[in-house]
Amino acid sequence: MSGPRGQQARAAVLAPLWALMRKEATVLFASPIAYFVLTMVALITSISFFEHLRLYNHQLFLFASSSMGGFESDTIPDYINLRDTVFLPVMEQLGLLILLPIPLVTMRVFAEERSLGTDELLLASRLSPGQIVLAKFAVTYGFILLMMTISFIYPASAVLSGGLGLQHLAAVYLGLVMLAIGIASIGLVCSAFTGSQIIAAVSTVGVTFILYDFHWTFEFVSEGTAGVLDAISMHPHFGRFSEGLVGFANVSYFVTLAVISGALVRFSLDLRRVGG
Amino acid sequence: MSAGLAAEPAGARVEAVGLSRAFGEHLALDALDLVIERGETFGLLGANGAGKTTFIRLLTGYLLPTAGRVSIDGISPATNPRAVHARIGFAAERPKLYPDLRVRQGLRLAAGLRGLTGAARDAAVASVLARFTIEDHAERLIGHLSKGYQQRVSLAQAFLDEPPLLIVDEPTSGLDPLQRAEVREQLAGLRGQRTLLLCTHDLHEARQLCSRVAVLHQGRLVAVGDAETVLGGEDPLALFRGAPA
Repeated sequence: MSGPRGQQARAAVLAPLWALMRKEATVLFASPIAYFVLTMVALITSISFFEHLRLYNHQLFLFASSSMGGFESDTIPDYINLRDTVFLPVMEQLGLLILLPIPLVTMRVFAEERSLGTDELLLASRLSPGQIVLAKFAVTYGFILLMMTISFIYPASAVLSGGLGLQHLAAVYLGLVMLAIGIASIGLVCSAFTGSQIIAAVSTVGVTFILYDFHWTFEFVSEGTAGVLDAISMHPHFGRFSEGLVGFANVSYFVTLAVISGALVRFSLDLRRVGG
Repeated sequence: MSAGLAAEPAGARVEAVGLSRAFGEHLALDALDLVIERGETFGLLGANGAGKTTFIRLLTGYLLPTAGRVSIDGISPATNPRAVHARIGFAAERPKLYPDLRVRQGLRLAAGLRGLTGAARDAAVASVLARFTIEDHAERLIGHLSKGYQQRVSLAQAFLDEPPLLIVDEPTSGLDPLQRAEVREQLAGLRGQRTLLLCTHDLHEARQLCSRVAVLHQGRLVAVGDAETVLGGEDPLALFRGAPA
């Protein structure tokens, strides 16, 4: 469609979408939670990073100052390097630590609308339920990206100056972002099925914790079941990114998780029309 | 316009045929047949739990009917909610507002959600701020407003794009007498310009504002007709207890 009528039709579709996205961002940053989460993530990352860097320097110092001859004598073992001693452990820790702040961001997204009754306002607007889901997911993912960018400043600076390589850096960062988006998707589903923000946050932590890694069950289940559980666990897919591998299967896993979550949230909105 | 043709009254026409809605075993609305003509100020009365809010939610498409159908200008909210939403403005009993937004922000959001952009949106916001006399509170947080002012913001929000059908649910519930009088005055000013559906359990309010009324009791229609005829009897409260008119 083109011309003034086409522009009007596009505006009629896009204006409500933008309006809701703007409102989501305004409400998010009007509450102290957004700033608290960003500060917490920056603090945790920096503490974790500097602690690992301190250990790395300590190990280097021990080997360098020992009777083995210092840096020039090739006595520093291969396993003491920035990648294995600092970068990967920090990323692994972050993978677990982001489980705490993300539910604080996602808990209000749908649950607050339900408790305020404003979901009725949204559903009586020009937005389709699908557009409501799209707008809310987009703003939440945007915030998650901001959060992960902040968390990545220290490790990125170390990796760039330590010569780990941009490709590896990008792979690990993508993995962490994917993991965070996966957790946020679970959080949004939990928020859509309740009017209580506390229940939304607690259930997000619970569901993510269960879905994070099924490795511990492998000794109790058959090989086939273990394979299925491994395929639906988040950690193995995230782990591949940490090794510097961006596999189609691993990206698909997190994209599928986001799509299924969107569909479930959309279903929850329809369920309200039928169930009341 | 030719002299032989009468001008079509402003507003939207509402029709419910055999409209029912159940919540589990509980029948909240039972085979309701009702027509609200264009331009009418129509009162839907009944005690708490009579089915008024359920009817509104079926009209807005927030709920789907268990049986029967409802339409606005012949369009069903169940099958074409967007076209219906373009025709209605809705102010709920408990104002559906975002407490963290300022009044102007909230109205701009509501205008955006109704598809208004740019200058048209700003003009609509300015117009309702003036019409509902909330200009002085435009930069205050909605959560900090009194209930009376929140009700005004809710009405202003519903009126933003001057919809043909304005649905107002218990607009004066929980307000003090002064605020009640102010809100009634605002509603009286909207009569005749569009279809106004007013849900209330306040008989005085209904007689003051509505040309026709219907009374619901436990989801069933017990009376419908001119406000004076239906509510002018010796004991109009008997209707609320389910006694036929």
